[in-house]
Amino acid sequence: MPMSYMPKAGMPSGALPMLILRVLQSGTLHGYAIAQRIHVLSSEVLGVEEGLLYPTLQKMLVKGWVTAEWGISETNRKVRFYRLTPDGRKRLKAELSDYDRVTQAIQNILRTA
Amino acid sequence: MGELFRRLRYLIHRRRLDAELENDMAFHREMAARAGRSNFGNTLRMREQAREAWGWTWLDRLGQDLRYGVRILARSPGFTIMAVLVLAIGIGVNVAAFTVFDVVALEPLPVRNPGSLVRLERRSPNAYTDGAPYTSLLFYQKNAKTLSAVMGVLGVPPMQVNDDIQQASASFITPNYFTELGTPAAAGRLFDPTRDGDPASAPSVVISYGFWQRRFGGDASVVGRIIHIDRKPATVIGVTPYAFASLGGQRPDIWIPMIQQPYFVEGSHTLTDPGDSAVRMWGRLAPDISAKTAGQELRALTDQLRRQNPKDIWDNEYIQISPCGHMQVMQPEMYQVAAMVAVLTLLILAVACANLGGLMLARAVTREREIGIRVAIGANRGRIFRQLCTESLLLAMLGALAGLALGSAVTQIALTKMDTPKWVTAAPDWRVLLFTVAVMFAAAIFFGLMPALQIARHRQHKTIARQILVGAQIAASCVLMIVAGLLVRATQHALYTDPGFGYRQMLSIDPHLGRHGYAPAAARAYFDQMQARLRATPGVLSVSLVKLPPLGHVVDRETTDIAGHKVLIYPNWVEPGFFQTMNIPILLGRTFYPREKNAVIVSQSFARQQWPNQNPIGQRLGDDDASKSIVVGVAGNAHINALSDDDATEQYWSAQPDDIPDMVVLARTAGTPDSLPPIAKSISESLDPKIFPEIRQLKLLYHDNISGIEKAAMAVSLIGLVAVLVAGIGIIGLVSFTVSQRMKEIAIRIALGARRGQVLSAVLRQFSWPVALGLVAGTAIAAAASRVLRIALYGISNLDPFSYAGAICVLVAIIAIAALLPARRALRVDLAKILHYE
Repeated sequence: MPMSYMPKAGMPSGALPMLILRVLQSGTLHGYAIAQRIHVLSSEVLGVEEGLLYPTLQKMLVKGWVTAEWGISETNRKVRFYRLTPDGRKRLKAELSDYDRVTQAIQNILRTA
Repeated sequence: MGELFRRLRYLIHRRRLDAELENDMAFHREMAARAGRSNFGNTLRMREQAREAWGWTWLDRLGQDLRYGVRILARSPGFTIMAVLVLAIGIGVNVAAFTVFDVVALEPLPVRNPGSLVRLERRSPNAYTDGAPYTSLLFYQKNAKTLSAVMGVLGVPPMQVNDDIQQASASFITPNYFTELGTPAAAGRLFDPTRDGDPASAPSVVISYGFWQRRFGGDASVVGRIIHIDRKPATVIGVTPYAFASLGGQRPDIWIPMIQQPYFVEGSHTLTDPGDSAVRMWGRLAPDISAKTAGQELRALTDQLRRQNPKDIWDNEYIQISPCGHMQVMQPEMYQVAAMVAVLTLLILAVACANLGGLMLARAVTREREIGIRVAIGANRGRIFRQLCTESLLLAMLGALAGLALGSAVTQIALTKMDTPKWVTAAPDWRVLLFTVAVMFAAAIFFGLMPALQIARHRQHKTIARQILVGAQIAASCVLMIVAGLLVRATQHALYTDPGFGYRQMLSIDPHLGRHGYAPAAARAYFDQMQARLRATPGVLSVSLVKLPPLGHVVDRETTDIAGHKVLIYPNWVEPGFFQTMNIPILLGRTFYPREKNAVIVSQSFARQQWPNQNPIGQRLGDDDASKSIVVGVAGNAHINALSDDDATEQYWSAQPDDIPDMVVLARTAGTPDSLPPIAKSISESLDPKIFPEIRQLKLLYHDNISGIEKAAMAVSLIGLVAVLVAGIGIIGLVSFTVSQRMKEIAIRIALGARRGQVLSAVLRQFSWPVALGLVAGTAIAAAASRVLRIALYGISNLDPFSYAGAICVLVAIIAIAALLPARRALRVDLAKILHYE
């Protein structure tokens, strides 16, 4: 049972909120589309299970980084679409710069050590 | 802020939002199924996990636990009622005690700005008095910048109103008294500094609401009427309100402006004599001034006063400032009493909690199956523990509610009995409610935590926990019973043994000559005649003079250091015949000669402590060479002004001519002195019609004094009995539980031919050592703690063996009954039925 909650190979811990924020930057998406987009954009390396996606989305809703609004899906079904808020944009910026700094540091070590 | 707000939104709309979340996930699965994937987890669990992000899971669980707890408690109403009752007693007693403390010491007086009111008292490192000279009061009033007002009250002996038989109590007050307190008048008007501060204004008085009702039947036309007080005409200008809150809880019938005092008490120098410390002082701190700042200023002012009249101000004198915006100005001794009462009532709570804890543990065994099932279907220990704690809290809440009701009811009764001021109510205020909540949590932790831990760890079969609880109950009950026993013994002792002086046939006649401005010679003449005429009265056996009469209004007290421990000394100034009149034996030496100088008579216990194994006669006493006095006699112990304190000692000095205006006549009669007061009154009348002597029967004062300890003994006995009963109920419960648990074993033993005694001892053995240990611990605690009681025990030792033995016997008897009643059931078992069971 617990295995199904784990992200698929290579999802660095803590990266999921950043990825969600990033894929929402270009427009509103519903939950399934978020998972799909991450999966596709990572060339099918990273997968997001709903057992991890929805708790993370709920946390982001409570934090105020995203809001949810009703929309119609491509299958003509009523579903919630998630939208980035200005707070979410700020957060994304901060996460990205943090991420850049850390990868830069790791790169430095890998190159020089 | 935004996040909290969103969280709250999620709490309020959680049903709708949960449905939306469910929809999201359902859609997700539909899409995944289309894409050809179908491995979903437990959807309910996933939704729960997602919801945890909202941060309200604990609330859901609490709700579940509460609902479950209510169901469990409702299913065993017997246990619930019993538990709530035990808790109600434990919590109620504490609530009642706290309410009284709250009313006395915490609740602000219903007057204007009570927080800045202060009591001002003269103090020095080795002297104190609760009064101050009026001249000093005026000085402070005029010069103190840190005080916005200084109020004074001069209490006087009861005064004669018109021709009433019953005298009325009266106080002289500074005219700002009512205006500073913001007191409205019930009728007419009250004093006002602009109209009543002038000695030339017409004599006026304000009467109390009670006096108005009692004496004048509430007649509104009393305002403006002229009444005679000690034969002086004065106009009634107003009535104080029904629920009047006064300073220091004073409630005289008649209030008179201070400035009129010389008019009503002819010849008095109280207002002009800087040595007459008769006026009690209160003040109001100026805005934003602390008591400390005011104290510094008053100390500087006191130094100025000393330069003006050096003989009347003590060395290092200062003014002690204590907040007095509530009913009672708390003295350190009163906090000691409060702490003692708190210990006793908390002991009851401890007994109640220990009791309930035992019951909970016993119940856990019957709940074993239920808890086993819950563990089996996935509840972890933490969750079980939380559930049990919720149940305890639920019980504690019910108990606290019942306790609050009980406590308020008891306080209501107590307050009406104690004749408290009318503004006092027993209705719980926020402090009492807060206290109740605190006690509730403390109780829940005390009775619920240990059982919950034990049960959650599956250790409920360990008897050690139950044994500890039994021991704790017994120890606490034991302390309560012993304290009750000591107080009962003290009451008995005070009522039925000789206090060392005669009081049954004694009368004190206090003409307050000093207050009427009598010079020593005139006072001597007055007393000589008064004594001669009293001696000539049939039935009068002996007459003498004393400065501080037994059980009087004024007590003089000093402490001295003898061989490292503090000894309380009550000095007095007497005429030679005092010892004979009071029936106090002179054990060694002789009594005084008239006006003898440099001679002192000490009490036996003082002599023993100061000069152990030496002849005290001829020893020297005194601070410096000039005033050193020689001991001429040793008198029997007679604590005439400290009845209850057997550690007190006395020193008597021969009255000098200057003392005579302050002396009081003592007369001993052959039979009851009932017929003497009118005679004494008429003698006084014929000697000086201005004088209205205060005539008091010692016997009545003595009984008043003892009724205090009698009430305390009754209250503590009652509390002790309640505790013992609660403990008894707990033991009954525990033993019957043990018996029912071991019924099969008992039946087998009986079937195999065990004798009844053996069976009984097998059942009861596990309780014998906790009971024994509890008794020993309780006795030890009582012995150690009762030392503070000594001052109130009228000479009973705090280790009095009778009290201890009596208390322990009663306790053991109750425990034995409580244990044997249910244990007998074990002997009457139906062997066949039990052995066939299962």
